[in-house]
Amino acid sequence: MRNVNPDNSRKQRILKTLIFAAIIIGILALADTKLRGFYLGVFLLFGINAIACLGVSITNSYANIFSLGFGGIMLMAAYTCVLFTLPVSYKESTLTLPLWLENLQAPFILALIVSGIVAVLSSIVLVLPAFRLRGHYFVLASMGINIVMTNLAINMRAYTHGPLGLRNIPFHTNVWWVYGLLALTVFFVTRFKRSKFGRALIAIGKDQTLAAALGIDVVKYKIYAFVIGSFIVGISGALWVHYTGSMHPNVFDLNFVFHIIAMLAVGGSGSVTGALLGAAIITAFTHLARPIQEGFALFSFDVPPLIGLIQVLLAVVVVLIMIFRPDGLIGSREITFNSVKCNFVMPKAREEEKG
Amino acid sequence: MGLYLAQQLVNGISYGSILGLLAVGYTMIYGILGLINFAHGEVFMIGAFICYLASAVRGMPWVIGAILALVTSTAVGFLLQRYVYRPTTEKKAPLLTVFIASFAASIGLRHIVMMFYTDKRRAFPIPGVFERMFLVGGIAIGLRDIVIFIVTIAIMSVLAYFIRYSKTGMGMRAVSYDKNTAELVGVNSRKVTIAAFIIGSALAGLSALVYGLSFGIVNPSMGITPGLTAFIAAVLGGIGNVTGAMIGGFIIGLGEVLFVALLPASLSPLRPLFVWALLFVILFIKPSGLFRPNVKFEEIWE
Repeated sequence: MRNVNPDNSRKQRILKTLIFAAIIIGILALADTKLRGFYLGVFLLFGINAIACLGVSITNSYANIFSLGFGGIMLMAAYTCVLFTLPVSYKESTLTLPLWLENLQAPFILALIVSGIVAVLSSIVLVLPAFRLRGHYFVLASMGINIVMTNLAINMRAYTHGPLGLRNIPFHTNVWWVYGLLALTVFFVTRFKRSKFGRALIAIGKDQTLAAALGIDVVKYKIYAFVIGSFIVGISGALWVHYTGSMHPNVFDLNFVFHIIAMLAVGGSGSVTGALLGAAIITAFTHLARPIQEGFALFSFDVPPLIGLIQVLLAVVVVLIMIFRPDGLIGSREITFNSVKCNFVMPKAREEEKG
Repeated sequence: MGLYLAQQLVNGISYGSILGLLAVGYTMIYGILGLINFAHGEVFMIGAFICYLASAVRGMPWVIGAILALVTSTAVGFLLQRYVYRPTTEKKAPLLTVFIASFAASIGLRHIVMMFYTDKRRAFPIPGVFERMFLVGGIAIGLRDIVIFIVTIAIMSVLAYFIRYSKTGMGMRAVSYDKNTAELVGVNSRKVTIAAFIIGSALAGLSALVYGLSFGIVNPSMGITPGLTAFIAAVLGGIGNVTGAMIGGFIIGLGEVLFVALLPASLSPLRPLFVWALLFVILFIKPSGLFRPNVKFEEIWE
């Protein structure tokens, strides 16, 4: 009988990880040099969306607190980050800020960290309702927080320039920033999922009363879930602004929130690889399929431009997935080297072992 | 000041009717299926759009446009129930699955309309009869305000009677309290659900007509704000309680108008904040709402 499980000796494992990392870095370097314009944009957006998905999945999938408030949190983080990186002259001409904030210029990494912290602080407004309300009532409350944040951003003209929005934001986001942070996030979330915290959270998500009876401190772990999730989500929001270079209060509206929810729904809730898969599918679909909604000629028929067709198709796909595969494409399983090897490369060996 | 307030109250009544009529749909569907029908705002929008298309674009008489609007929104509600909510709820799927499906349905419906008509504001046709104004003791009251108020109150009374005494109405209340027991005593929960969706969607269509008459505009994203506000009204009135939803709608409608009227003008852009702050106050202090809700309490509280 052959040994099905790959040899997990320490040396081999390190070697495998190194080879894997080298391949990934190679692909990224290739992407950095070869991809330009539109395709580079899609590639970067995939990374940013994937980070957001991973952050959202901590509260929405693992702890099963279905929050739509992350749009508001991303907005908060994005505005914070922008205040740190905008050129001083632009800030002077459009915003009325306190002097120290106006002259503030910080390196991107510092701005990212601060915006993550601000995201965590602003998630307090989500944490409070999360302890009182359940089910749809919390969903509604979190959605309200989203709308309230947008409304505040529109009205606090001194800091946000209101609905006119901000421009001239430096383009800091590149392949290395996005994918470096994505790699860190993936590493962190996979470790987190298997740690004491992650397992406690999943237990709370499955049955809160049972988890409390087992001695899990529900309040503490829910707060942890919001802190970690909001930090990651906030960073992705900050990256997003420095990719687009402009900012206005409606960028993270319910439509954006729906996209992230769709990614998690399609990929599979409670799975890191599922979140990545969902982000990849939805990002690719919404951007690469864009030409079909701009009208084309099909066998002498002129198909008129139908702006919004993408959203309609996406909605139909999500409804169908919710009807036929409510757990998403891969559910809460993970795609790993071992699972691929056992299922596709060596299925025969597995059967032998079973028999 | 007294005159000004009275005028604002008159203005607030039609907004209250819009919210009240919408809130009834939310409250019935939440009571029976235990879910927020997120697409309700879009049913509302489609109703207004059909009336606009029929009478302003095709040139039909306004009344026919209004009837078409009611029929279409009812049909959309029925189709939603048949093809989105029934497949997801009958599989005993977790609540959030149904929620995501309803969120998707809302986005999808909105963008279907946007696809063909773009997200542009259009003038809603208002028949000349409704433009007539009366001056009562210094307060201008439009004929449409009176008609809207009377129609809303009439419909509300009929509905309250229907829910209380008719067989379907009793079935609805039974199913929203306990679906399994209701089925055991012979209530056809499927029929009752369809009835709730049909009544709710027809009222959303009516509410859309009221919206068009009092604001005079339609656009594909018009359903978002009244939709969410109406749900808050349903929560305020005690979810599942039809009369409560109507009264909640009037309270929030009048409250919102008074918020804008009484506070300094610099605060009026914060109008959405008022509504959501109210929601938080309700949810923290009295989540069961002002009137007796017709659902079990464990669903609300932690």
